[in-house]
Amino acid sequence: MTLQLQHVTKKYKDFTAVNDLNFTIEKGEIFGLIGQNGAGKTTTFRMILDLQETTAGTITWDGKSVNAINRDVLGYLPEERGIFPTMKVEDQLYFFGELRGMKKAELKKEIDFWISRFELEEKRKDKAETLSKGNQQKVQLIASFIHKPQFLILDEPFSGLDPVNKDLLKDAILLLKEQGTTILFSSHQMDNVEELCDHLCLLKRGVSLFSGSLLDLKKQYGKIKLAVRTDWSTTQLLAL
Amino acid sequence: MSKFNLLMTQLYKSKIKSRSFVLMTLLYVAIMSVAVFWSDIKELFTGDEEAQKIAIVNETSADFSEIFVSNGDMEFIQDETNNKVLEQKVKDEKLAAIITISDENGQLQAEIATFTPLKLNDQTTISSLLQYAGKNYAVQQLSLSSEQAAQIMDAQTVISNKNLNEETVGGKSEEEKQSGLVVSYAVGILIYFFISTFLSMITTEIASEKGSRAMEMLLVSVKPATHFKAKIAGVLLLALTQMGFIAVVFLVYAKFVKGGAVWDMAAGIVKELSVGYVIYAIVFLLLTIILYLIIGALFGSLVSKVEEAGQVLMPAIIITMMGFYVMLSGMGNPDTILIKVFSYIPLTSGMIMPMRIGATDVGVMVPLISLGILVATIIVAYVFSLSFYKRSVLTYSTGGVIQKIKTVLKVTT
Repeated sequence: MTLQLQHVTKKYKDFTAVNDLNFTIEKGEIFGLIGQNGAGKTTTFRMILDLQETTAGTITWDGKSVNAINRDVLGYLPEERGIFPTMKVEDQLYFFGELRGMKKAELKKEIDFWISRFELEEKRKDKAETLSKGNQQKVQLIASFIHKPQFLILDEPFSGLDPVNKDLLKDAILLLKEQGTTILFSSHQMDNVEELCDHLCLLKRGVSLFSGSLLDLKKQYGKIKLAVRTDWSTTQLLAL
Repeated sequence: MSKFNLLMTQLYKSKIKSRSFVLMTLLYVAIMSVAVFWSDIKELFTGDEEAQKIAIVNETSADFSEIFVSNGDMEFIQDETNNKVLEQKVKDEKLAAIITISDENGQLQAEIATFTPLKLNDQTTISSLLQYAGKNYAVQQLSLSSEQAAQIMDAQTVISNKNLNEETVGGKSEEEKQSGLVVSYAVGILIYFFISTFLSMITTEIASEKGSRAMEMLLVSVKPATHFKAKIAGVLLLALTQMGFIAVVFLVYAKFVKGGAVWDMAAGIVKELSVGYVIYAIVFLLLTIILYLIIGALFGSLVSKVEEAGQVLMPAIIITMMGFYVMLSGMGNPDTILIKVFSYIPLTSGMIMPMRIGATDVGVMVPLISLGILVATIIVAYVFSLSFYKRSVLTYSTGGVIQKIKTVLKVTT
């Protein structure tokens, strides 16, 4: 599925959240939306998902308007972590899977796979509220793509995860890409982006600063930052 | 399963097992059980108490032994004389009281001597017996024949009503109105409890989904309108389940306890009130609950976390309480202008209109107009809430209800 944003603008009464945003995400690629807090990332996602209306501009999926597509081909991990606190982890995943039109039998296979991959076997029957924050986030992440969406949106998926879990998540994203899922994710840190993204968009206060491939970005704005730590003196170093 | 059904079933399943729902249902059953078995329960507490011994010292020449007849609560010992001995017995608690009856200028005078005060019940009984004895004594003084005396004592005025307004001929009798009032009171309380329970249930349900941010996950796959409808349907289904369960328990009690005595009584009341009343009461109950569920869902969508649910619920709860107290005021006189006004207001008509139908003479049109207003309000509230819900359900804001509404309007228009 190709997603195309053309001149998308979102204005509130006294504030413009997103201003004339343009980018295209091709099928099967990973696209990063980078920006500080308040740059307009979540608003952009909500417009793409038809949770909010655009003030101007068009958003199309394979040429079709956002409100015309079958929503079950989409997956979404909101920035604010949220699952049903009193529902068991497993029930939670079945519920979200079924809500997206999956059969119980198909779901069982998927749930077994992802629960073991994210090392949640012991928590399977626990209520979500008893889990640690990181584990809750993993459950919610699985819930967002348990129905094998064609297009997956992850809003700040790395925030709050420890390095081990960050790696688990990166591997999962790459695996989903291999399976043909198109992925759009946001981050306020470049380091996660470099390893994953094919293309990206830099957003600042609702305005796009750059949109294109990572290589082009480096060519345009690239700087080499080299840090050397040694007990040599400056003269010795300069003599090198 | 469709998304609507999935959401509805999930809500239904999680709530029906919840402790508060089960406890509330059991409470209703318990109240009903107490009502059905009231006489047995009373027996249990008072049954093994011995009858109070009361001595009667009659200083007049008249005979009162036919008036003071012993029963299960009181045993009268007639024609005692020795006051000193009797008083000692009262002090030793072998006697509960001494009633000394004497003549004072042709009027009967009685003195009740006790050591521990009599129970209120017994005191009332004794007072009325003494009043009767007093009249009896006065009649006896007139030296009438026993037939004449009986005629005076048993005299009663026969009252019959004649309605000269042909339009309302066939109005309700005094007894019908009285039983209408009692039943309406019970129905009103039931409606009040149902509304309070399910209104707060739907508001906290939606508020907690919003607060836990599960809402965004849901709304990506489900349209807000479907979510809204599924929540209302789910809670309505729970309400119907609870009512159905209570009705079944009632039927079982009515049919199988005390040889169907309760059933006969209920059938008698329904006959007196007419089947129309029962249908009206049920329709008003259901429609009022639906209206409150729509409002509750809208309020739930306004708050940012579940802790704020109580705050937005306040206005709705105050309105239900207002309706409830207006209904209570109708217990004394169901014909006041206050009752008439509130019986047309959609949020309170469900509690008050059934009382007017049951306990006063209303024309055919009055309940229909009130019902029409209620239905129209539901439709308007539904359409409005549905469009507002789409905007409020993902908007997080702080402040009071008005502030929240303002924020929703600001960020979505």
